[in-house]
Amino acid sequence: MDFVQFLPPLLRGAGLTLVIVVAAGVLGSLIGIVLGTAKASPSWIARAISSIYVNFLRGVPILIILLFAYFALPLILPSLTFSRGFTAVMGLSVYAGAYIAEIVRGSIQAVPKGQSEAAEALGMHYFMRLRYVISPQAMKIAVPPGIGFLIALVKASSLVSVIGFVDLTRAGRIVTTINQQPLLTFLIVGALYFAISYPISLLGRWYERKLA
Amino acid sequence: MSLYFGDIVPYLPVMLKALWVSIYVTLISFAAGSVLGIFIYLAKSSRFKVLQLISNGYIEVIRNTPLLVQLYLIYFGLGSIGINFNPLWSVLIGMTLNNSAYTAEIFRAGISAVPKGLREAGTALGMPFHQTFRYVMLKPGIRNVLPALTNQFIVLFLFSSVGSVISLDELTSILQNLNSQTLRTLEIFSVGAVLYYLTSAVIAFGSRMTEKFAFRW
Repeated sequence: MDFVQFLPPLLRGAGLTLVIVVAAGVLGSLIGIVLGTAKASPSWIARAISSIYVNFLRGVPILIILLFAYFALPLILPSLTFSRGFTAVMGLSVYAGAYIAEIVRGSIQAVPKGQSEAAEALGMHYFMRLRYVISPQAMKIAVPPGIGFLIALVKASSLVSVIGFVDLTRAGRIVTTINQQPLLTFLIVGALYFAISYPISLLGRWYERKLA
Repeated sequence: MSLYFGDIVPYLPVMLKALWVSIYVTLISFAAGSVLGIFIYLAKSSRFKVLQLISNGYIEVIRNTPLLVQLYLIYFGLGSIGINFNPLWSVLIGMTLNNSAYTAEIFRAGISAVPKGLREAGTALGMPFHQTFRYVMLKPGIRNVLPALTNQFIVLFLFSSVGSVISLDELTSILQNLNSQTLRTLEIFSVGAVLYYLTSAVIAFGSRMTEKFAFRW
């Protein structure tokens, strides 16, 4: 069977898809935690700035963000050269940041108000309340939607193939130009995406059942 | 680097026309996908194990693979075995199938969130199930489902940009063409991003208004 010969490049692509998803997931979580906390904060300036970022990026397709990063970053910073992997991770992180910020905001606001008020009555400062009272409870609430978004990120990461990064989808495209069997190749590509994404959704379901 | 939007003003009508392509592709596939989604939801909640298994498998497969790969399968994959669709039809079919899996889950979640007591009350009054469904459960069900549906509509609209990859001439594809024609990269893509943003903001606003005024029963 000749598809065995095409499996290694596809698996390599799947590995790179995993790498950029993890990298963008971590960076996006950092952006999202900062912006989400700002969005749930009492300071109106912090709320306004984070709202503009979150609302705008949630209204723009990830493909446009990636194309912008790919074509426009070198124009804004002409002295630097960006690798495709770097651009891909940047674009995905900026995108993920906006969605994760909404999850973080929602989770913080889902913690019962009495918790924060009790901590305030004990004389705890805003950041102390956030650190010791709100965040331990908010983190639990954030896990199911966070896992849901991680799956969305795996799927959205397929679009980095458009800016030439050789992820799983791009590897599939390259393989089809050699073996001329797009049906078989993309079925394998789809199966590999499924193999990445389905265990994550099972994990999410397991966690939700554990909470219930 | 300096920004100059003057060069791209003449191309604005072209962009708006392409935006309309994005919108109507989304409208058609959302409508068709929602109808299909109802049937998949019905199959999933039916008594027959086979139907449950098939619909569940369908939902999981679609929801765990990227739309781009689904489009490649339809456009290149089916094309290679003699089933040819042009880019427009490939995108319509792909987005319809994709959307149906998501809406099926939305319907399931929305209907199962209708309090059980309502259904039992209907049965207690001697109504057959279809009447209980139609007169008792449907309205609260719609109210549960609507926010998720409009959200899904916005997501689908944003992901219609993926159609550009198989050369459907919608907004993203036109932006890339204009970028290579005018070389006004920053201006083209920022105007494009704003067009996408404004459209999804209008949809979101419309859905909020609907929730506020149409569902006050």
